[in-house]
Amino acid sequence: MSTQHTPSDDRRTRTESGNEPAWLLVTRREVVSRITDKSFLIGTVLMVAMLAGFIGFTAWQDGKTDSVTLGATPDAVAMATAVKDAAPEVDDSVKITLVDLDDEDAAKAALREDDIDAWLHPADDGWQLTSESSEQDSLTTVVQTVVRQTVLADNAAKVGTSVADLEAGTTVSTDFLRGDAEKASVAQAVGFVFVFLFYLSALIFGMQLASSVIEEKQSRIVEIIAAAIPLRQLLAGKVLGNTALAMIQLLIYLAVGLVGLSFTSYSSYVPALSGPAAWFIGFFLAGFVALACLWAVAGSLASRAEDLQTTSTPLTMLMLVMFFGGISLDGRGQVIASFIPPVSAVVMPKRILAGGVEWWEPLLALGLLAAFAAVTVMVGERLYRRALLQTGGRVSLRQAWSTAE
Amino acid sequence: MLEIRELTRRFGDKTAVDRVSFEVPAGLMTGFVGGNGAGKTTTMRMVMGVLGIDDGEVLWGDRPITRLDRRSFGYMPEERGLYPKQPILDQLVYVAQLKGMARTEARSEVQELLERFGLGERAKDHLEKLSLGNQQRVQIIASVLPKPAALILDEPFSGLDPVAVDSMVDLLREYTRDDVPVLFSSHQLDLVERLCDRLVVLSHGRRVAAGTVSELRDAGVPRFRLVLGGDAGWVRDLRGLEVLDLDGTTALVEVQQEGAEQHLVAEATSRGDVHEFVRVRPALSEIYREATA
Repeated sequence: MSTQHTPSDDRRTRTESGNEPAWLLVTRREVVSRITDKSFLIGTVLMVAMLAGFIGFTAWQDGKTDSVTLGATPDAVAMATAVKDAAPEVDDSVKITLVDLDDEDAAKAALREDDIDAWLHPADDGWQLTSESSEQDSLTTVVQTVVRQTVLADNAAKVGTSVADLEAGTTVSTDFLRGDAEKASVAQAVGFVFVFLFYLSALIFGMQLASSVIEEKQSRIVEIIAAAIPLRQLLAGKVLGNTALAMIQLLIYLAVGLVGLSFTSYSSYVPALSGPAAWFIGFFLAGFVALACLWAVAGSLASRAEDLQTTSTPLTMLMLVMFFGGISLDGRGQVIASFIPPVSAVVMPKRILAGGVEWWEPLLALGLLAAFAAVTVMVGERLYRRALLQTGGRVSLRQAWSTAE
Repeated sequence: MLEIRELTRRFGDKTAVDRVSFEVPAGLMTGFVGGNGAGKTTTMRMVMGVLGIDDGEVLWGDRPITRLDRRSFGYMPEERGLYPKQPILDQLVYVAQLKGMARTEARSEVQELLERFGLGERAKDHLEKLSLGNQQRVQIIASVLPKPAALILDEPFSGLDPVAVDSMVDLLREYTRDDVPVLFSSHQLDLVERLCDRLVVLSHGRRVAAGTVSELRDAGVPRFRLVLGGDAGWVRDLRGLEVLDLDGTTALVEVQQEGAEQHLVAEATSRGDVHEFVRVRPALSEIYREATA
C-alpha cells in the first residue's frame, strides 16, 4: 500500500500552485452563461428602450409649445397686444398670435369657424375671454395674469402711486424644509422607480438563481462539483455572479434614467438625485445578497423544477410585502420600516429621496441590512449545503436544517 | 489503492449500506454489482464525499481520504447530466478548472478527448443537441478530467452502444495501465465478467461476495462432471459425494468430503472408459443469483 504510486501527489501541488479560486470560476460561469443568453439580453435592451422612450416622451411633452390665436375687437387690441408681448414671461410654452376682428359678430363667427381659439373683449366689470370650450387653460392663466397686472398698474397710476409701492411689504417669502411640491412629486416618482427596480431585479434574478440551483441538483452535476470543490464556494460563486449581473443591469438603468432626465426640464434635479441613487445602490447590494442566498435555498429544497413554485412561495410573499410596503408606507410606519431589513432596502432610499433624514439614519439602516445579509448568508449556506445533495423528493426546511450531511 | 472499511449509512430506520468493506486495487477494474436498491450508488456517493458517512471509513493509500484526494478522482454520478444549454467544450473546461486544471491546459485536453470520442466537430454544440449516446460520451470525458487518480463510475455503460462501450473500455484500460484504480457499477453481468478483474457483490446493503472472477467461481463447493462409457448409476453409492444430476452415462457431483473426487476418478477408470472428468465452475450470473437471493 505504501509503495502505491498515485498521480494525486503532483496534482495536489498543481492545485496549490494557485489557479483561480473555485468561487471565481463559478461566478464567471454564471455571468458568462447569462449574458450570452438571448432572453436576458433582449430583456435588458427592452427595458433600456422603455426607459429611454418614457423619458424622451416626457421631454417632448415639456418642450412642446402651445400656439394659440387670440382674437381681439378694436376696443381690446391694446390689451391683447399687451398679453401677447407679456406671454413669454408668464409661460414660455404659450405662443400667441393676434387676429384683429371688426366686431362682436365677426368674433363669434371666427370662434365657430375655428379661425381663432379665444376672443378677448371688455366686459361690464373687467375683461372677458371667450372660447368654445375650456381647453385653453394655459392661455387663460396668461391672460388673467397680464390683464391683472395691466389694470392694476393703470389703477395705481390713477390714484398717483405705483404697483411696487402698493405691494411693498406684502411678500411672504417661502422656505420649505422638505422642499417644494414639485420636488416632492419628483421624489415620489423616483422613489417608486427605486422600489420597482428592486422588486423586479430581486424577483427576476432570484428566480433565475433558484432555477439554476435546481438545474444543477436535478442533473446531478452538483455531485461532480461537490466532489471537486466545497459547496460553500459554489454558493458564493452563484450569489456573487447573480449579484454582479443584477448590479450591472441596475447601473445601466440608473445611468440611462439620470442621463435621460438631464435632457428634460427636470434636469435641475439630477445632481440632487445622484446622492440618493448612490445610497440606493448600496441598499440594493446588501438587500440583494441577503435575498439571493434565500433564493438559492429555495432552489436547493426543490428536487425538480416543478417544486420551485412551492419552495419559493415564502420568498415571493416577502417580495410582495417589500414592494407594497415600499410604495404605500408613509409617516411613522415608513420611518420604522426604513430600519427593518429586508424592507429597509427599499424604504430607506425612498426616505433619503424625500429628504429630512438625519445623516446617521441611512448608515444605521444599511448596517442593519448588512448584518441581516450576513445572517441569511450563514443560515442559507447551511440549508443549501444540506438540502442540495438530498435526492428523492422535496426537502422541508426542518429536514434541511437538522439533517446530517 | 482505495479501501472501503465497514462503511455504513442509514436513512431514517433503513440501513442502506451496512458495514460494507472491499478494496479497489490500483491498476485493476473492480466491478460493483447488485440489484436495484442494493446500496451501490449510496456507497459510491460516500466514497466521493457527496454523502455523509454514518460509520466506517474510506482509505486512500494507507490514510483516510481527504477532500483534495477526492478532487483528483474522476466521478460519474448515476443520473447524469451536465448543463443542457451550454456548449460541451465550455462546460468540460469548466469542470476541469474546478478540479484544478489551468484554463489553457484544460482546453487542449478537452479538445483531445472530444476528438477521440468523435465529437471534435461538435465542441460548440449545446449538450442537449447531442444524441443520448454522445451525451454519455461527454459525461465520460467529464469524469476523466484531469487525468484521474482513481475512477468511480456509477453505471458508466448504460445507454452506450457496443462501439461506444469498446472505446470506453479502451479508455479505462489506459488508466488501469497507469495504475489507476477503477470502480464501476453495472447491471450488465456479461459486461462485468468480460471487463472486470475483480468483483464486489452487494445485496440489501451488505457485501455478499468479493474477489476476482475466478476466485468467486472457485469459491463454492467444487463440482465435477463425469462422462463414462457405460452407466453411471454406481456413483450414487460412493461416500463423500452428493450427486446433483444423473443422466445415463453422465453424472454431476458435488464434493462434500475432501479427496472424494480422487476416489471417484479411480473407481471410474477401474470400471471402464472415462470420456470426461472436469471441474464445473458456476457462471457469474449463477453466483450472483445465489449470492443475492
